[in-house]
Amino acid sequence: MAGTTVPLTLGRARNERVASTIYLLRRNPRMIVGGLIVLAWLFVAAFAPIIAPFDPIKVNVIDSLQSPNATHWLGTDDLGRDVFSRVLWGSRISLSVGLISVSIGLLVGTSLGLAAGYLGGKFDLIIMRGIDALLAFPALILAIAITSALGPQIQNAMIAIGIVAIPAYARLTRGQVLAVRAREFIVAARTIGCSPLRIVMRHIFPNVMNALIVQATLSTAFAILAEAALSFLGLGPQPPFPSWGQDINYSQRYLPNLKWWMSVGPGLAIFSAVFAFNFLGDALRDALDPRLRRSA
Amino acid sequence: MIRYIIRRLLLMIPVAFLVTIGVFTLARISPVDPVLVFAGEDRDPVQLEAIRHQLGLDQSLPIQYVAWLTHALQGDLGRSFQNHQRVTEAIVERLPATLELGAAALLISVSFALVIGIVSAVKRNSLVDLLSTSVTLMGVSFPSFFLGVLLILLFAYVIPGKIFPPGGFVPITTDVSDNLRRLVLPAVTLATGSLALNLRQVRSSLLEVFGLEYVRTARAKGLRERAVIVRHALKNALIPVVTLVGIQVGAIIEGAVITETIFSWPGVGRLVVQAIPSHDYPVVQGVVLVSALSFMLSTLLVDVLYARVDPRISFESAAA
Repeated sequence: MAGTTVPLTLGRARNERVASTIYLLRRNPRMIVGGLIVLAWLFVAAFAPIIAPFDPIKVNVIDSLQSPNATHWLGTDDLGRDVFSRVLWGSRISLSVGLISVSIGLLVGTSLGLAAGYLGGKFDLIIMRGIDALLAFPALILAIAITSALGPQIQNAMIAIGIVAIPAYARLTRGQVLAVRAREFIVAARTIGCSPLRIVMRHIFPNVMNALIVQATLSTAFAILAEAALSFLGLGPQPPFPSWGQDINYSQRYLPNLKWWMSVGPGLAIFSAVFAFNFLGDALRDALDPRLRRSA
Repeated sequence: MIRYIIRRLLLMIPVAFLVTIGVFTLARISPVDPVLVFAGEDRDPVQLEAIRHQLGLDQSLPIQYVAWLTHALQGDLGRSFQNHQRVTEAIVERLPATLELGAAALLISVSFALVIGIVSAVKRNSLVDLLSTSVTLMGVSFPSFFLGVLLILLFAYVIPGKIFPPGGFVPITTDVSDNLRRLVLPAVTLATGSLALNLRQVRSSLLEVFGLEYVRTARAKGLRERAVIVRHALKNALIPVVTLVGIQVGAIIEGAVITETIFSWPGVGRLVVQAIPSHDYPVVQGVVLVSALSFMLSTLLVDVLYARVDPRISFESAAA
């Protein structure tokens, strides 16, 4: 019986999934707005070498400090570099740091949370005290301390922001594991002889997925902001490579001369990227995880 | 309550111990040799060995840690590699400027959050509400350093009369009005992020409380709306806000790092930023340790305060 119904069921399931996705998107316009801006930035980051009209690091002193015009949409800096091209290229740094550091936090934090929640006992106690110690540091201070110790490089910024993100994933995952660990389907899986790894990966992990997706989206916003802050303090990628935070810092010396365009481009880029991930994260939270939904 | 505080303090000890290990390790994983930084231009091998011995860096790591921790517990965080000033002294010297900035930012943030949050919740879906939800959304996404740059551009250069200076600090004991004039822009910059969070919390807590039965009862017995809000709803709605503000007090140094850098404000945040390029680890270590411990203490304080302002939470059940 199962053999004859599988294709039909699969087809129906796929249609239902598409229909429910469309329903979800129609009910959450914030998800569409946030998602579209995120996709736009991902597109820009991927194709910056093709889209950018100028070389972002090529010095061209003759064109220096031009205000926005038809050729240089966001003007030029003191070395004649096109600000618009630097903003487009800068997205590669910001988004790659955002995505890689969140992946580090997600992978390490989720593994620790799953293990601590499932195994319990002394392992749980030790892991959670370590997580408490990480949480004792204000996030940006910890990121600054790690990056300054390892050296001002983009890889180190990724590691630092990734480490800062670990506690949120570990606590979230552990909490969810504790909530489902005693439920019947887990007891049943254990009774039929499933290995702990299989129980964790096949039965517990899918229950944590939605909360993790929401957390990952929101922490990408934090990671982009943290990378920009580290770059602003000189702890991110080093000049002449374009980076939003570093470019705002550099532009500060031209504020008395009212060369506003040097900072406005990268500033609005950070804002729009962070805003998009926050917006998408909030919408996803409302849609995927009603338990976490804000009352407002 | 005393038992609860003692219990919480005891629970903090292992975490604080791990924090000190973390802070100590951070300075040791750096690829830069601290002896070379300390010696500066003097690269005589004999001299370098003498400095290594003087700093205790020729000892094993556990012995170095115990020595560092023993000194730290006595309030000695070592000396700066740059100017050989005691780190504790450097932090204490700069703390008043950071506290002044943090207090001003919190004052702005909390007062605006309360006023706008209450109006926004009472007049839900009004123009004020729309404005407040927009501020919330923008505030959490707007980078503070970009806001700082925009404020400097606008108030120090574009608007005629140069209302506020672009940066710098004058002690309040020297010139009160100049101190306050220089305080406005950095305080507003620092306040914006927390304002967004506090505003969201005030609004959502009030909306939650407005739906509860005791508020309906207060209205039903004919109390004026102002009394319902101030005497009944606000009391309970502010409990989560107290938690949030308490955590923000503990994170003052964190917020100040960026703001003090933009506005050349000589506080603890700027101290750590200036120490990084010169690999002045004792200073970085000291500031990180102080900010982590103050963050931990503020969390404890918030928990105690939380149980105090909310009679529904008993210390016994919280401690269990």
